[in-house]
Amino acid sequence: MSRGDRAQTRASEINITPDLTIPKVFAQTAHKYGDHKVAMREKEFGIWRPITWTEYAERVKAITLGLVALGMQRDDKVALIGDNRPEGLWAEMAALCAGGVAVWIYQEALIEEVQYIVDHADAKFLIGEGQEEVDKALAIKTKCPKLKHVIWDDPKGLRHYADPLLISLDKVMELGRQLDRNDPHRFDELVKQGNGEDVALLFYTSGTTSAPKGALLTHLNMLTMGQNLMRVDPSFEQDDFVSFLPFAWIGEQMMSISCGIQAGLTLNFPEEPETALENLREIAPQVMFSSARLYEQMVRGLQVKYADSSWTKRKMYEWGLRVGYALADAKFAKKPASVPLKIQGALADMLVHRPLRDHLGLARIRNAYTGGSAIGPDHFRFFHAIGVNIKQIYGQTEIAGISVLHRSDDIKLDTVGKPLPGTDVKIAADGEILSRSSSVFLGYYKNPEATAKTLRDGWLHSGDNGFLDDDGHLVFFDRTQDIMVLSDGKKFSPVFAESRVKFSPYIKDAWIIGHQRPQVTAVICIDYNVTGRWAESKGIAYTSYQELSQEPRVLELVKQSIAQVNKTLPVSARIKRFANLFKELDADDNELTRTKKLRRGFLEERYQDIVTGLYGAADVVHMDTQIKYEDGRTQRVKTDLKIVDVKE
Amino acid sequence: MATMRLPSGTYHQTYQQDQAWWQTRFVWLRMIGLLFILLVFIPLWMPVLFPDIGLYVVSVANLIGYTILSAMGVQLLIGYAGQLTLGHSAFIAVGGYTSAICMLMFGIPYPITIILAALTAGLWSMLFGLPSVRVKGYYLIMTTMAAQFITVDFIITQYVAQIGGRGQAFSIPPGTITFGPIEIDNDIKVYYLMIALVIACMVFVGNLLRTRVGRAWLAIRDNDIAAEVLGVNVVRYKLAAYFVGGALGGIAGSFWITSIYAVSPEHFTWSWSLWVVGVILIGGVGSLYGTVFGAMFMTLVPEILRFAVAPLQPVFPQLMTNFQFLKESVFGLSIVLFLLYEPKGLAYRWWQIKNYLHLWPFSY
Repeated sequence: MSRGDRAQTRASEINITPDLTIPKVFAQTAHKYGDHKVAMREKEFGIWRPITWTEYAERVKAITLGLVALGMQRDDKVALIGDNRPEGLWAEMAALCAGGVAVWIYQEALIEEVQYIVDHADAKFLIGEGQEEVDKALAIKTKCPKLKHVIWDDPKGLRHYADPLLISLDKVMELGRQLDRNDPHRFDELVKQGNGEDVALLFYTSGTTSAPKGALLTHLNMLTMGQNLMRVDPSFEQDDFVSFLPFAWIGEQMMSISCGIQAGLTLNFPEEPETALENLREIAPQVMFSSARLYEQMVRGLQVKYADSSWTKRKMYEWGLRVGYALADAKFAKKPASVPLKIQGALADMLVHRPLRDHLGLARIRNAYTGGSAIGPDHFRFFHAIGVNIKQIYGQTEIAGISVLHRSDDIKLDTVGKPLPGTDVKIAADGEILSRSSSVFLGYYKNPEATAKTLRDGWLHSGDNGFLDDDGHLVFFDRTQDIMVLSDGKKFSPVFAESRVKFSPYIKDAWIIGHQRPQVTAVICIDYNVTGRWAESKGIAYTSYQELSQEPRVLELVKQSIAQVNKTLPVSARIKRFANLFKELDADDNELTRTKKLRRGFLEERYQDIVTGLYGAADVVHMDTQIKYEDGRTQRVKTDLKIVDVKE
Repeated sequence: MATMRLPSGTYHQTYQQDQAWWQTRFVWLRMIGLLFILLVFIPLWMPVLFPDIGLYVVSVANLIGYTILSAMGVQLLIGYAGQLTLGHSAFIAVGGYTSAICMLMFGIPYPITIILAALTAGLWSMLFGLPSVRVKGYYLIMTTMAAQFITVDFIITQYVAQIGGRGQAFSIPPGTITFGPIEIDNDIKVYYLMIALVIACMVFVGNLLRTRVGRAWLAIRDNDIAAEVLGVNVVRYKLAAYFVGGALGGIAGSFWITSIYAVSPEHFTWSWSLWVVGVILIGGVGSLYGTVFGAMFMTLVPEILRFAVAPLQPVFPQLMTNFQFLKESVFGLSIVLFLLYEPKGLAYRWWQIKNYLHLWPFSY
């Protein structure tokens, strides 16, 4: 398959009627493309094995009927857990075709989380990938009596599992095919029974503060959201999409399901989660939606390669970026670029930007969306400088993904863009962002209080603060609870400062503290790989993350990065002191949400000693904590963290 | 050699695509351009555009082609199967003589004699490959040198060349070498024959190398004991390598007689056996492209030297007469320099250049 511009054709827009469901659209699309178009590819044993729409539909049909044969009723909940892989999507689509509700669980969710969701959602089926998921299911089966069947698809390690709860996906498909032979119209009838107002997805939001809440999304919610998005940014039938972010994240559902079946995108599943970026490079998708974290990682990767290359190449890169930044700034300001700049830009594109896009796997990218948490302005500018049309998205699970988006010709650094067609956004008296559209969810499952709090008069209360600027762009300030009030009474977003600090390749995570405190301080997590390489090049010996993080020259390096950022921050928001944490923040330790946002309340509780130290006089904090490993063992860690003052 | 980094957006849905030689549109365009230069520009346009040197360029190209064909078998034996050989001229000679005898004595058409030459030379090579079952490394040098002396200096000179009482040289009358209705009677026709043979051999060897046989050879080259443990029949594949290597030599010999209209034992000297080993060392051991690069280098350097030397002749009149020695010393010196500075050959440099461009503006 060679690279190059291919003809673009667009699937005609579907007419969304109240009785339309995802399975109905799916059936139409599969019928339309048949076996002459690839629906998805999975990289296996070194090649991208194609699966056509006919094959996709056949498998979904088999699984649907298999589930029915196992006793699935309409509105039954099917919990799904596992890597991004075709089987996961087939199972989800099958659950919807059978009239059920799909409940995705993050693959790395701990047993307690899985138990909470499976139990709370009343899931009757759990479809997992392999041994890991089966083990989780077996561990919770006594506590989740409503669970009737556990289905797996990867047989590795499962030979001696004999629990009656277990059944393989192949077996389920066999049952389904049997049923199909006996009752050939069953599948079509099941699909026909669906109604647009039926619940399609039960999505548990990864609350930064409380226990997860299950948002109920209907078929219409999902379909209209996809259609409205594609009215702004059309997707083409030739487009590729790489599916590597968790299916349990609404953004992935939005692309793989809502847009995928409407536009006829080809979905591509990486070989392993670890090879996702490499596989992304092979496919070079036209559309991509990811969290800010991934984009930050991409920039960090380039910065490291830049630092390791020769003098001439570095100069070339610097020149290319200078030109790119100038052009990007002109674009943001909506001013035409001067002719010499344009000529330089064309040259820089050929010599620098295009190779950089190739390195990242964004050679063909048309729209790169970032959502979840705000991306730093430096990262944002960087991508536009190298010619990647990155756009902010704002939305939440409760509105089926997104509601506000940058338009390609109207991008502003500090906003998240304008509402999608069919979406109304307004700001409440207290600054809260309210939105209303046909994609707003039904409510939280078994949680009427939370529903009443979030849904009032048809308006979705986001809990985020923000305002609409003169151009109608939404500016949002992150979750309300994340705003901090500085010593001089000013409001400030720690996320903003954190994202700026993270532009340094050596810093992976930053946690800014300063809410109602005399000064702003930070806890930094260095990037082990990048900083480690740097240390090696300087001949600094280290044996562990802990040791490297406390190395004086590394602290100096971090201090310089922070000092650099401080110049761009308002005086009262400048970071005065910081400490390097002895470990990376991890969602398994509850320090991050599954979408990798900081859980500030928890952090402050857990690292009380450090916070006290940062606001004390001493320059060393004695840490004495318990660390819990993934296998459940705990270990006591005693270490000293150095506290560094950042001078002006 | 590590696999080449492909441009972003290149992916394969089947193993056929994954193993394809030309994977991107850019490479396709490059190769089509190259074919155009080889098939149209050099033979048809050069003689017209540059009447002074056009035909000279074609004859040099023929020499390069002969060197490629001669070195291909050596590349296969040394570079891919790991079997040292220092007597490859013997098999080229067997090919040349087989072709000539078949045409002159039995009236067999030339194209068929190429095949017969390949088969005979292959079998002859296999005979001398037998010791490789027992000996390795330096000792193999001795046994393959024996092939040179036994075949050329003894059998061919003493017996074969005497056939028909023609003395030391087999003269091939004009009109003998025909390809169907076309008589190979000038350099341009020889050139096309050369291109056809080189491409056919390259495609054949390239394809062979990505089959089970080729993988077995690589395994034997890298570690013959490990290969045997993995179930590779080492003896069989070593002999197969000698057969194919010798057969390629036979094709080279068969081609040789087209451009010279004669065949004589002194065309197949031991120094030519050494020369072709030099070709693959400079071009790159274990690279098909390397064979081509090496052949070009080893042929063009002496030619360029000759041009460079010409203006100096009035000053140093003995230069031209001593040119043969100069050529030999350049050959020696270039081998030494290459082993010092470019031990992996020109093909590796080519790979580095491509990699440099692919990784631009970074180094990994």
